[in-house]
Amino acid sequence: MAIPNDFLNVLINKLGEEHVSVDPLEKLVYAHDLAALPKSVKLLFDTTPDAIVRPESAEHVAEVIRLANEYKIPVIPRGGATWGFGGTVPVRGGVVLDLTGLNRIVHLDEEHGLLTVECGIVWEDIMRFLQKTCWELPVYPSSALSSTVGGWAATGGIGYGSLKHGPFIKNVVKATAVLPDGRAVMLDDNSDPSLSQLFGSEGILCVFTDLTLKLVPKSEAERPFMASFSSLANALMAAQEVLRLTSPHSLVLRTFGFTRTKDYVNPDAYFFGCFTGYKHAVDKYYLTLEEVVNRYRGYLAPEDEAGREWEERFYTLRVKKWGPSILGNEFIIPVPKILDMVGYCWQLGSLARLDVEVEVMFVSRDRALMFQLFLCDERKSIRYLTEAAITKKVLEAAIKAGGKPYGYGLWNFPFMEAAEPEKKRELESLKRALDPQGVLNPGKTIGAELALGLPLPGRLYGMLMDGVWFLRKVV
Amino acid sequence: MLVLPKLQLEDVFACAQCGYCMKRCPVHYFLGWESESPRGKVFAIKELIKNDGRVDEKRIHRLGRLLSKRFFNCTFCGLCREVCHVEIDLLELWSRVREMLYDHGFVPENVVRLSEALRLSKNIYMMDNASRTDWVAYTGADVSFKDSAEVVYFVGCVTSFSGRVQTVAQAISSILNSANEDWTLLKDEWCCGHPLVLSGATREARALAMHNVEMVESIGAKKVVTGCPGCYLALKHEYPRLLGRKPGFEVLHSSQLLDVYMASGKLTVPKADVTLTYHDPCELGRISGVIREPRAVLQTIADALVEPEYSGKESICCGSGGLLKAVNPSLAESLARRRYGMLASTGADVIVSACPTCVQTLAQAATATQNGKRVVDISELVAEQIGLI
Repeated sequence: MAIPNDFLNVLINKLGEEHVSVDPLEKLVYAHDLAALPKSVKLLFDTTPDAIVRPESAEHVAEVIRLANEYKIPVIPRGGATWGFGGTVPVRGGVVLDLTGLNRIVHLDEEHGLLTVECGIVWEDIMRFLQKTCWELPVYPSSALSSTVGGWAATGGIGYGSLKHGPFIKNVVKATAVLPDGRAVMLDDNSDPSLSQLFGSEGILCVFTDLTLKLVPKSEAERPFMASFSSLANALMAAQEVLRLTSPHSLVLRTFGFTRTKDYVNPDAYFFGCFTGYKHAVDKYYLTLEEVVNRYRGYLAPEDEAGREWEERFYTLRVKKWGPSILGNEFIIPVPKILDMVGYCWQLGSLARLDVEVEVMFVSRDRALMFQLFLCDERKSIRYLTEAAITKKVLEAAIKAGGKPYGYGLWNFPFMEAAEPEKKRELESLKRALDPQGVLNPGKTIGAELALGLPLPGRLYGMLMDGVWFLRKVV
Repeated sequence: MLVLPKLQLEDVFACAQCGYCMKRCPVHYFLGWESESPRGKVFAIKELIKNDGRVDEKRIHRLGRLLSKRFFNCTFCGLCREVCHVEIDLLELWSRVREMLYDHGFVPENVVRLSEALRLSKNIYMMDNASRTDWVAYTGADVSFKDSAEVVYFVGCVTSFSGRVQTVAQAISSILNSANEDWTLLKDEWCCGHPLVLSGATREARALAMHNVEMVESIGAKKVVTGCPGCYLALKHEYPRLLGRKPGFEVLHSSQLLDVYMASGKLTVPKADVTLTYHDPCELGRISGVIREPRAVLQTIADALVEPEYSGKESICCGSGGLLKAVNPSLAESLARRRYGMLASTGADVIVSACPTCVQTLAQAATATQNGKRVVDISELVAEQIGLI
């Protein structure tokens, strides 16, 4: 869609020229997120924004949304754009709201361990800031080197530390958000709408502008570990035993393909993680870990290698080098189903003649976040399109196994009905109440829209994906 | 026409778009827009090339000026390459794109002027190249011009012509004399060619490289010493590629030479009661890997050496690299102020670097602040402490 000049002029007048861009090159580079879209899919949506706005304050955010409401222009909030489900990709043009300029630390309550930050701050900056204090972050995402706090609040919120301290939402006390009508509201457990209602709503209900995070006292000791195994089954059993007997900060299991990027591990599967807390407890857990690894005939890596792996924890996508492209999905799955799901991914990979690597991040003793990567080549356009359907196949199996997608965005929206019908009803009802004009991040999460604003029914989307998967055999 | 070689083409498609480069990029820190980030630039390239690695000529002509603005708003500091998730050689990629923009005539005006100056005068200041050694008279340095010597001191344009840092040349000369080295200056030194490589004018840079290598080889020198990280990078890493052969001499940066002299006892420097902090020049530290040697020297001669926030391979650019000063001086100044702030906040008495251009840039930033700290080159500091200058 083309935005009216009038809207653009008012926007520039209110915010200043330096905060608004309609530069063709800028539009080109804001038309995507982490995932590479098949060229033919780009034909269905108008992924190029008409303008990009970089607000520098919450007032700017409110101003943009108020104006967008007045002119019925879609607004697509964007943090670090490190999510791969199309959450920050426009579907019918509009204004991309790049929030990375709101990146200040507002206040540290040293006494109570509470930190208020603006939504566009990158996690790594908070970590650096906290180095000088006696506090640390309980949880942070695996993309902490570039993703933003607001982005994680709008999406999944599961990452390193969630095993010990729970998901991100459990570690947020309150937030300020701008609603689709441009009102700025304070959100907590008692507000209406409440923080938990809007948390993880993928930018379709509000734009978070600041958040107050719970901190935890700095650990007395930190001891990374890594163990490799000759079979995935052994690695998985050992990991479950470690979870039963100890309390790690994080525990991540990976299949052998990830080891291509390391010169210091050569197993079929390995897990790594870290114990944090009081020194005596950490040392005790480490001894238990040694026993478990021995029992399952694993190899416990020397601590310096484990330390290197822990340092490397933000570099999951190194494996992409062997693609050069990847197709993947993320979902929460019951731990007993992990082995079956990995087996199914391997089976699909073999059918599509694609290498597949799997990472499992344990969220609790019985649930885990599973991330699988199919290595492919987007330059082979037709083949890539047919391969893209593999992500649907995986997700269908995961839902059947009692799992649910980690996020919906543009690509997983048809699965919400099957995976979380109640959540879908709630989001739909909130969307109707808060955003009747459908201004905020339209065509995502609870339903998709094509370039001209035409609805894309989930069933049709599913049929299209099944069709291209079938086409794969012909190709 | 730009045709990306297979490996680089793979790299462009392998880019994970994770944004780790963007978060660290010193230019993006100030400009904020996605197109000013390494991630955005890689995405733009990906959109402009075909699957066989050839650029879409029509789109290049349409977007040329916009691309030029972005690709020259870069200090070539290499931090993007350092943090890259999939280990893409981004500096190589940026060079290729600048070459393509140069060939298509899409380079900023000041870059065109710079290449013209270099073609005509063989130095970046458009001065008569015969005045390149005037610094000898200004500083009173004891130098010689021999037909044959073991070591050549390659001074570089900035140190030769810029009054603020000519003392670096004086210091290095006096240190070479003090170590009884058999050394000489080149009778007709030309610019190393690094600014032309950065402009995208690789063919023109080759002519300068050939001249300098011929001059050094005719003297029969086994070593070339330089105090300039840009010259060091050109002589050591760019010349073999430009000339298709490895020149027959070893290249040393002055900080490496000082380290060798001090470790072997050839040079004894008294320890001073001073706290220093060290700024790693990007081309010397991160890109060329010379990180240990300057620290070894400074730890020997000072009471304390304090590391600033971001140092070694993670060092942040002072803004003087990649021709940014010529293309976007106000942005370069912002970068300098930011880096100076990090160095000054260490509480050190003196800020040391191992690059005349960094020293000049940071000193300028220091003068803009109240009670600005002294910024000095490592060779100057050593020579001062021995009492050579």
